[in-house]
Amino acid sequence: MENRAYNYAIVRSFVTWSVIWGLVAVLVGVIVSFQMVEPDLNFPPYLTFGRLRPIHTNAGIYGWGVGVIFATFLYIVQRLCKTPLWSDKLAKFQLWFFNATIIASAVTLLLGYTTSKEYHEMEWPIDVMIIILWVAFAINIVMTILKRKEEQMYISLWYMLAAIIGVAILFTVNAAAVPASLFKSYSAYAGTNDANVHWWFGHNAVAMALTAPPLAMFYYFLPKSTGVPIYSHRLSIIAFWSLIFMYLWTGAHHLLWTPVPDWIQTLAMGFSVMLIAPSWGSVFNGYLSMNGQWHQMRDNYLIKYLILGITFYGLQTLQGPMQAIRTFSAFIHYTDWVPAHIHMGTMGWVSMISFASIYFLLPRIYGKEVYSIPLANLQFWLILVGQLIWSISLWIAGVLQAGMWNAMNPDGSLTFTFMETMVEMYPYWWARCLGGLVYMAGLIIFIYNLYMTAKKGKPTVNNAAAAAGRA
Amino acid sequence: MDLSSALYLGVTFGLFVVFLLIVIRTYSKKRKEEGERAKYRMLDDD
Repeated sequence: MENRAYNYAIVRSFVTWSVIWGLVAVLVGVIVSFQMVEPDLNFPPYLTFGRLRPIHTNAGIYGWGVGVIFATFLYIVQRLCKTPLWSDKLAKFQLWFFNATIIASAVTLLLGYTTSKEYHEMEWPIDVMIIILWVAFAINIVMTILKRKEEQMYISLWYMLAAIIGVAILFTVNAAAVPASLFKSYSAYAGTNDANVHWWFGHNAVAMALTAPPLAMFYYFLPKSTGVPIYSHRLSIIAFWSLIFMYLWTGAHHLLWTPVPDWIQTLAMGFSVMLIAPSWGSVFNGYLSMNGQWHQMRDNYLIKYLILGITFYGLQTLQGPMQAIRTFSAFIHYTDWVPAHIHMGTMGWVSMISFASIYFLLPRIYGKEVYSIPLANLQFWLILVGQLIWSISLWIAGVLQAGMWNAMNPDGSLTFTFMETMVEMYPYWWARCLGGLVYMAGLIIFIYNLYMTAKKGKPTVNNAAAAAGRA
Repeated sequence: MDLSSALYLGVTFGLFVVFLLIVIRTYSKKRKEEGERAKYRMLDDD
């Protein structure tokens, strides 16, 4: 076992599948955005907004997001631990079980089987599959870390462990349910407890699946791309631990002004604001790591992705706490401002880092430079502009919507009917369609670049020399 | 204060102390070099 080489074949496979699911997520996202402006594009019972929207979110989070996590973690853990994966067979099982789980999720959601819990819509048999999948992944990563040849653990490994443990706990607790049949279950919690547990899961899934893993990637791929170390490893450790101590208390900010006890709402609000510190600890660490290297923003396309990615993380973690404050939440909650916020995080922060990570991996897993750097640059501008069109139009829409909902006549009656507020949204929803199309054009260019690199490149048959030398 | 409230308070205080100890340990002058070593080592692995 000690003489085995690094396993890059599994990284290649996860890159491929994550990108396929990413395309599904964006394509379905664009379709549902058109369904919002053209209701005739809904074809009941299967191809309606209600059924397609969870496919968009789940394909995005679990197919694209988690797929990239699997690809990058399986690469990073081998490199940072200077040892091959603990089990290649387990990794292979993980790959096919991952795809089986995503397909089962998509099919059942399309058929209308849902728990109705946002971001956790899949019914209990698929929850069981997800838990098996995650345990297989966790065992491989943890065992590889345990047999590492490097004494100290670099910060990326800390974030990886946090993500693995965090997702396991959050998902299992929120999945607790009483099955009534093969495709129907009832939550183990009732009333406000159910809502509270659900948003404890919901917001912390953002933390453990869409914050900790991209940070692990950022801390690994930024210095690898610039060739200089991060500004401060100690700062990254403190930012890590403060994030871990604070994040888990913030979920109830999704439930402000609801029957959830006031003290829980206040607690969530307070911790949400405090979260600015660890988030910006990482942002500053990223920026300060660029001291003397800012010219690389022009020279190295990877740096553009990584620095814009961490910038969107910074903006996201300022906007998020702002939204978690009661008075501001009262204004914008339930408006289109909220999806704009989420999409700055997913299309800006998470995907920028994911694209950069995959571009970094390509020459190493295919043994050939990226097919076209100009195309990678073009993709950067398309996804940046697409995301900005998407988010900015819906921020404006959200403020307009909130203003109209709150407008009152002198006699206390509402100034606008709900339908009037809906009609005002149309120009912004069309802009969202446009933003989605531009973003998808960028994604298609990315896939073409990846395909051509794979086709013209020569797959690296593991880094045998490196592994043998370090085993 | 009932038992559960005291327990919550104790756990909160305990977690705060743990965090404080992590900060003190990470930023102790004696451990400065060791604390920053990983960022250089990670660049060696390629």
